[in-house]
Amino acid sequence: MLQIAALSVAVSVVATLVAAAFAIPAALWIVHGRSVARSLLLALFGAGLGLPPVAVGLAVAFTFWRSGPLGWVDLLYTPAAMAIAQTIIVVPLIGTLAVISLRTSDDTLPMQLAALNVPRRARFYLIAREVAPGFAAAILAGFGRAVAEVGAAQMTGGNIEGQTRVLTTATMLAVGKGDFGAAFSYVAVLLGIMAVAAGVVLTLQRRWA
Amino acid sequence: MGVTAGGLVARRGRFVLDVPVFRADASGTAVLGPNGAGKTTLLYALQGLIARDGSVEKPARTAAVFARPAVLRGSALWNVAAVVSAALHLPLADARTRARSALGDVGLTERSGADARTLSTGERQRLAIARALAVEPQAMFLDEPFANVDADARPYLRALLRSYADRTRCDLVLVTASLADAAALCATAVVLRQGCIVHEGSLADVGSARDEYVQALVAESQLVL
Repeated sequence: MLQIAALSVAVSVVATLVAAAFAIPAALWIVHGRSVARSLLLALFGAGLGLPPVAVGLAVAFTFWRSGPLGWVDLLYTPAAMAIAQTIIVVPLIGTLAVISLRTSDDTLPMQLAALNVPRRARFYLIAREVAPGFAAAILAGFGRAVAEVGAAQMTGGNIEGQTRVLTTATMLAVGKGDFGAAFSYVAVLLGIMAVAAGVVLTLQRRWA
Repeated sequence: MGVTAGGLVARRGRFVLDVPVFRADASGTAVLGPNGAGKTTLLYALQGLIARDGSVEKPARTAAVFARPAVLRGSALWNVAAVVSAALHLPLADARTRARSALGDVGLTERSGADARTLSTGERQRLAIARALAVEPQAMFLDEPFANVDADARPYLRALLRSYADRTRCDLVLVTASLADAAALCATAVVLRQGCIVHEGSLADVGSARDEYVQALVAESQLVL
């Protein structure tokens, strides 16, 4: 159980961080100006919100299938493949929420701070402090989606015991076997993980307030 | 030292600001004109906040009060202290002391602990004035700084800015739609229309400007209830 939970957290944390590393700079770029490319990327993020994990899982599984385009890297049925699929699922969510949080903050703040002689570095710090709570919420939502997702984890990980079994795929298997006791305990741990993650983010947001 | 601009050209969309010469010093210059004349664009261009052609000379330390002041999350006190600490390279503790006194000057002492985002528009403007004065500017750019401030607090705040400028020889540029604000803070006035200066002279003579907007402004200021 401990190993399954740890793998769930590890795969989803990696996926969320990689997704954030891409989605947050992208969100900053989208709100920084106006262009067709920016609108297009935002639209892509918006469309991606409804991306079914099963579809992403299928695409990733196909790509890494032994005879597939990237079959030679031998990643299918590894935690890395699961993390790649979850990253793709989570990028649009983090990107969209980050854009929303940036758009609701006063976009003249950087200019006003500059007009008050606040040096560039301090300006960056003060603005980061403004947007941090919104970004933290976006990242939390991303982690929630990644860790709770089952379709892609099943297809790209294969639910191999001791290797790629995570809480969601373990729950599916347990229910299939009629082992509701195990299924409930997996789900309880999953809920516990989300509660801890939400607690961490809320605490951070309070400290920044 | 003074604020001096030459050949100033700035564009915002299809709007073009074209000001061959502009000067302001501690005696204050009021920028008047109807909505859309380019008053705020002129302020931004002088401060270098938007792309512009031409030359601008101004003191190193400047401050601004925007028409809609942006605030940081956190208390009013933090809002002033964070800016003062960064702008003057002061430890936060010293900046806090200065912030407290600046908030006192604008009558916000009782609200200094309140979240700045919950302040009323008028209170935000007071906060912005406190923040601007606290960074000890040598030139100030003011955009309708009293527009939403209580009428009974306006004379006091005007006097606060005027006395700061007198004491420190701080240059003042004031965008306003109020002759009372202009009269309290500025000796000279320029009138903008469609991005160009159509009149300039002493504020006392602004009534001589053959401009509909200025005539309406003067007539309004002479109304007696």
